[in-house]
Amino acid sequence: MKLTRRLIVITGLSVTVFAAVAAIKPENPPGDKFKNLRVLPKNISSKDLSGIMVDEFQDDLGISCNFCHAENKDTHRPDYASDEKPEKEIARAMMQMTIGINKKYFKLRHPMIGDSTLIITCATCHHGNSHPDNTVNQ
Amino acid sequence: MAKEDLIITDKNDDGIDRAGFIKCMAWAGTGILWMMNGGIMKSFGMSQMIDKTTGGLKKGLVIPALDFSFVQISDSHIGFNKPANPDVVGTLQAAVAKINAIPTAPSFILHTGDLSHLAQADEFDTLDQVLKSVKTEKVFYVPGEHDVLNGDNKQFLARYGKGTKGDGWYSFDSNGVHFIGLVNVVNTAEGGLGVIGNDQLEWLEDDLKGLSNSTPIVVFAHIPLWAIYPQWGWGTRDSAQALSYLKRFGSVTVLNGHIHQTMQKVEGNITFHTATSTAFPQPQPGTAPAPGPMKVPAEKLRGLLGLTSVNYLEHDHTLAITDTPLAI
Repeated sequence: MKLTRRLIVITGLSVTVFAAVAAIKPENPPGDKFKNLRVLPKNISSKDLSGIMVDEFQDDLGISCNFCHAENKDTHRPDYASDEKPEKEIARAMMQMTIGINKKYFKLRHPMIGDSTLIITCATCHHGNSHPDNTVNQ
Repeated sequence: MAKEDLIITDKNDDGIDRAGFIKCMAWAGTGILWMMNGGIMKSFGMSQMIDKTTGGLKKGLVIPALDFSFVQISDSHIGFNKPANPDVVGTLQAAVAKINAIPTAPSFILHTGDLSHLAQADEFDTLDQVLKSVKTEKVFYVPGEHDVLNGDNKQFLARYGKGTKGDGWYSFDSNGVHFIGLVNVVNTAEGGLGVIGNDQLEWLEDDLKGLSNSTPIVVFAHIPLWAIYPQWGWGTRDSAQALSYLKRFGSVTVLNGHIHQTMQKVEGNITFHTATSTAFPQPQPGTAPAPGPMKVPAEKLRGLLGLTSVNYLEHDHTLAITDTPLAI
């Protein structure tokens, strides 16, 4: 009888733990479908990557995809994996700089672009401009 | 222009006579009223129509029976959660409530894109769930650039593009009006300008071939088909080609979203109109370094969001466009 009760408790706990793990599992599981990621995590989710592109780059710099991404000559669509445009490499350097500043000067342990915990973001300097304007009083 | 549409007496030099004004006032919603007659569109502020003492329409207005009406909503951006509007589901629900309060339910709804903020399945699911409660027969969609992020429009097409051509363009007829849904967000040009593309242009030319010049045309697409502010990508690179196919028609109305604010322009027989968003406002062209979500005081937000109603009287070939903010 005691054994049966113990089994029920263990089973119940297992179900609870399993349910809890399932609950915290991201809705969009990370994958490796994005090519040529060098600064952003290779297993970044579609939602996180899109959020960075839209909320960090598009809104904070006032640019669209074509600013960094070259056009595929055959499909006339953005070739996201291509490194043809120098702006893309500059964007990588800027992301590394931003991560570095947050790590070195603000002591964040694992800063990543798009994190809401970042002290310094693209917007800190860009203010909606593709190139920071140091002539404007901020 | 039909004889009955000619203005005989125009004492106020405002381009509309008393009968026309009353007819026009019958379309009154809240915000700005647009009325098109014989290819000419004029706007009328609410102060002209509303009785300030009662808050209702001025006395003596007669509301004619409608042949049909439809509503345009745009830029729901489900999934957006920044300070410009942390509750985009709530404001979409408010738009649905506005639609459901219209005395005669609209025949259908046009959603002119950016249904979602990041093209995620859960965002589309939420939109579908909210729009389930809207009182109308059907909702037609075209994608915004946020619905096809990372070059992936498969999800949008699977959900909303059944029976469409190419990247999701299509046309349909309703009550004698020919509706054309164009997709100008899959290939975007330098600076974020929209692109229609050769395949779609060829289809459009062919689609219009069998129509008589008197057929009223309504074109809807996400990015404006007129150059509102190309520096911000508020225009479509090859729209001139598309518009050239529409020149022969007596009445053409072009409905867009993308810029999250109402703007109107009449060019010959073509009336252009952009709708407000149900999610967040954007700055007026040139008033900020770049377009993007604009934070306004909370009490002002719903006054800058809204929906657009379009009423059509078949015997008059009249399309009247009314913008309704959520706040009223």
